[in-house]
Amino acid sequence: MGKMLSSLFRHPSGRIGLVIIGFYLLAAILGTLGLTPHDPLKLFAIDRLKAPSGTYWFGTDLLGRDAFSRLMVGIRQSMLIAFASVAIATIAGTIIGLVSAWWGGLWDGIFMRVMDVLLAFPAILLALLIIAIVGPGTMTSVAAIAIVYTPIFARVVRGPALSLKQRDFVDAARTFGSSQGYVLTRHLLLNLVAPLAVQVTLALAWALLTEAGLSFLGLGTQPPTPSLGLMLAESRNLMTHAPWLMIFPAVTIMLGILGFNLTGDALRDILDPRTQRREA
Amino acid sequence: MSYVVQRLLTFPLILLGVSILVFVAIRLVPGDAITAMLGTEAGLLTPVQREALAAYFGIDQPIWAQYLRWLTGLFQGDLGISSIYGKPVLTVILERFPLTLQLSLMSMVIALSVGVPLGVLAASRNERPSDLVVRVLAMLGQSTPNFVVGILIIYVLSVFFGFVPAMGTFTPLFADPLASIAQLIFPAITLGFAFAASVTRISRSAMLDVLSDDYVRTARSKGATPMSVIWHHALPNALIPVVTLSGVEFGYLLGGAVIVEQIFALPGLGRLVLDAITQRDYALVQGTVLFIAFNFLVVNLLVDLAYVALDPRIRIGRR
Amino acid sequence: MNQFSPKTLLAGLAVATALTSVSAALPAQAAELRMAWSQDATGLDPHKQTAFSSLRLLELIYEPLVRLDADLNVVPAIASSWEFAEDARTLTFTIDTNAKFSDGASVTSADVKASFERLLDEATSAAARSNFLSIESIDTPDDATIVFNLSTPDVPILVAMATINAAVMPAAEIEAGTVGTEAIGSGPFVLESWEPNAREVLSANENWAGGELAIDGITISVLPDEMAILASLRAGQTDFALLNDPLVATLVPMEAGLELNRVGVLNYNVLQLNPSRPPMDNLLVRQAMSCAIDRQEIIDAALAGEGKVTGPLTMPAFAQDPANLFCYEQDLERARELMAESGVDGFSATVIAATGEPPVAASEAQVLQAQLAEIGIDLEIEMMELNVYVDAWLAGDFDMAVAQNGGRPDPYPMYNRYFTNEGNLAHVSNFPDDELDSLMKQGQAETDPAKRVEIFQAFESRLAEQSPWLWLSTGYSYTAQRESVSGFTPSPTGTLFGLVNVSVE
Repeated sequence: MGKMLSSLFRHPSGRIGLVIIGFYLLAAILGTLGLTPHDPLKLFAIDRLKAPSGTYWFGTDLLGRDAFSRLMVGIRQSMLIAFASVAIATIAGTIIGLVSAWWGGLWDGIFMRVMDVLLAFPAILLALLIIAIVGPGTMTSVAAIAIVYTPIFARVVRGPALSLKQRDFVDAARTFGSSQGYVLTRHLLLNLVAPLAVQVTLALAWALLTEAGLSFLGLGTQPPTPSLGLMLAESRNLMTHAPWLMIFPAVTIMLGILGFNLTGDALRDILDPRTQRREA
Repeated sequence: MSYVVQRLLTFPLILLGVSILVFVAIRLVPGDAITAMLGTEAGLLTPVQREALAAYFGIDQPIWAQYLRWLTGLFQGDLGISSIYGKPVLTVILERFPLTLQLSLMSMVIALSVGVPLGVLAASRNERPSDLVVRVLAMLGQSTPNFVVGILIIYVLSVFFGFVPAMGTFTPLFADPLASIAQLIFPAITLGFAFAASVTRISRSAMLDVLSDDYVRTARSKGATPMSVIWHHALPNALIPVVTLSGVEFGYLLGGAVIVEQIFALPGLGRLVLDAITQRDYALVQGTVLFIAFNFLVVNLLVDLAYVALDPRIRIGRR
Repeated sequence: MNQFSPKTLLAGLAVATALTSVSAALPAQAAELRMAWSQDATGLDPHKQTAFSSLRLLELIYEPLVRLDADLNVVPAIASSWEFAEDARTLTFTIDTNAKFSDGASVTSADVKASFERLLDEATSAAARSNFLSIESIDTPDDATIVFNLSTPDVPILVAMATINAAVMPAAEIEAGTVGTEAIGSGPFVLESWEPNAREVLSANENWAGGELAIDGITISVLPDEMAILASLRAGQTDFALLNDPLVATLVPMEAGLELNRVGVLNYNVLQLNPSRPPMDNLLVRQAMSCAIDRQEIIDAALAGEGKVTGPLTMPAFAQDPANLFCYEQDLERARELMAESGVDGFSATVIAATGEPPVAASEAQVLQAQLAEIGIDLEIEMMELNVYVDAWLAGDFDMAVAQNGGRPDPYPMYNRYFTNEGNLAHVSNFPDDELDSLMKQGQAETDPAKRVEIFQAFESRLAEQSPWLWLSTGYSYTAQRESVSGFTPSPTGTLFGLVNVSVE
């Protein structure tokens, strides 16, 4: 892991990506600890829709709340949803992919058809339905995004797992009497780290985008908790009154996605043997 | 060929799964067509009135009976009647589909016509300033949510140019080709923005891959000009991942673009199903989701076939 | 028609194209109003539809016996005159002999009778039926006279008839069961086509008894995003638009060439408490909450200043100055005293609100949350999709609810559903109170207008003092138009009937 980070840091776009993600994590941690310039939920009644200033760095919103503090907490919220949903999707997808590849036969058929159903179901509508059933909120957004991405991870894992299963060293391990679980984790999983790592960073970027989209439709994070998408949605009708309310969250979302995309690209470069050959 | 047959055989199974999922999911959502129509006034109904309405909307039966009735209809090509439109679901879908299809195609054309040349340019100038500029732009493009692009486009057009694309209803292509394309060009740019960025990136990296392949080196050593190497020898092979990416993306676009349709007030499949969900038009939700899933499966199958057809290595491998 | 050969067809097309370009070049003699709104009608049956957006469309197509003018007076529509009997148990209408349906047939008393019988038939599932339960029988002595015999004295029934939910439709259409598909009414416009959630096309009804219109028709486009409506107005693609979001409305006057019409409406924004759940069952807690909130601040922050503080009665003829009502000025000290006295030491509760309905619901909930935190009440906001919200609301399944409820020009039809003992929505308000019940009944039977005002003001004071709900504000109805449009009169009921006087340059 440390090795991967250091080689990421040597990669030009990886470095930029990591710096951006680092900043976002810092903002998220500060936001969680309450180390924001103002209380993000406090309404400063006489200071509504103030332009950016020394007191309110990114201005205030319609209800008189400090936009900068809300942005910090919003980053936390968006990152939380992105990381949690991708973590769940990765774990669930990996388990399903491995089990399908390993056991094969009927199980493979059943699992993969279920994944096919989820893939064929229009993603945003699946999320919409889940949200409508359970009611919108942080956990619902996490669950909805996780369910949408699980089949993608299952596919990413199953393919390489199938071909690894045929390879000599796995066969050898099996004939030497290693337990199934040992072979699965030790040999298969380790070899899957590379494709998974790339998929995870890209999925994080997508999750951030999806969270923003859901919140924009009023179906994601619920007030008063800010999220980047919600802040953007709330600023929609204030575009001419207070453009800063729109610009800052929009740029923050873009940069966040950019950070994950850059890191994902760098990871792909580092882990993909073909590009290594090219650079060599 | 047996591969295609095998894939086709899974279609009914997958669609059955989708149909069950959507059927159950939409009924798990609280509220029904009655509350959707009457809002809080639904509380004024007497039990007799409520029953009459439930029968009218076909939601008075137990859920399994409703499903069986719907499934039976499905086999006869009958997707049910939409309660919002008072028309057969399939008719409603087919009225909306041309817009989504045209919008998806236009987005793809924009993405390819911008993305491929930019990607090739960047690859041929590997690591030079123009390459870096293209890569940064593509990265940024891929990181911009499409609703931000859409909002900005409408704002800039209306404030600085006193113009907005026609909204509300769609002018079909065959009725007035120019007006039709003019209406969808900005939404297509909105959707094509991130798409073009992806195409740029993938065509650049595919091009770089191909340029380092042996046969290109051979061509080069035989004295082909750099231009001819790129356009005649490298590009056709580099297009394989571009085709795959565009195909998959196209499959998603055919599912409708909820947010962009909302912002530009376009009556496409995305808004159709969103409205159907909000108004609890069960038959329409079910039919549209099934329709979208079917298109998705077909497009993905075609993409796979194209991939096999384009890549000689795979064809050999399969034999 | 003769059969066309391909060649003549082509020639025909060329002529048609030439004709269209000629007519497009002509000055706007044949004026058509291009209108936009964000929510479309949900159906065409005026007896069944209750959604605001549906009523706005149907009011242009159908007519009730009487309607309300911009000052909320009852004025003639299909009926040219009416009379209550002394005991308020017989109501007689004389039908305007010029009134005609859009298919040319005259409106007769038989049509009125058939319409009301349909409305009262439970199989029709008309929610408005509950307003007309006092109708015992309907007589039609001649084609132009209709008599309603009532089981109890019912003065407010006249106002209840002044809505499109009591529209008159042809008896033949009712017989044929084509109401809701054909849309044949006696109103100023005829529905030419309707593509739900996309567009409706209306043309002027030549047979309309109200006179000639200055426009030939209206095309209504459904643009779900109100900022897009604004952009469309700005770009000249839309002439006239209905706006729901006060934030968008406040942008209109800043635009050159656009005008905003604004009129106070009868709808009210309210925080509904659920007095069947502790601690909201405690009068002192409810009163403390009423004292703790700053209604004007909610308007300033959540509604961008677009609203007026109101008590339960929103109609000018009955409303009293809110300053006279219990604790209508924020008084935190008194609120804390009341809380201390109640024995409840702060509590947590969930407040439900619908996403986007009204557009300011989320903002209102957040300001209320901040204000009630001052007296130790910890509100959790639960935003719900509209239908999910309606479902929970109808089941009375909430601690508190941010709501925007419809108003009526008369207090009786507005509140009898909530605050009489047998009201249809008494299980939503959960506040059975004999005094409110008896005041309602007196108000229904009283014929003297001055006495009615007195009765309902006592009713209002009692409600504010008992605080089962916390009434907050009334807002405005907004329409925006380009300068080329003139003659529109907005109405507190929100109706767009004022379009009959509109002309487009």
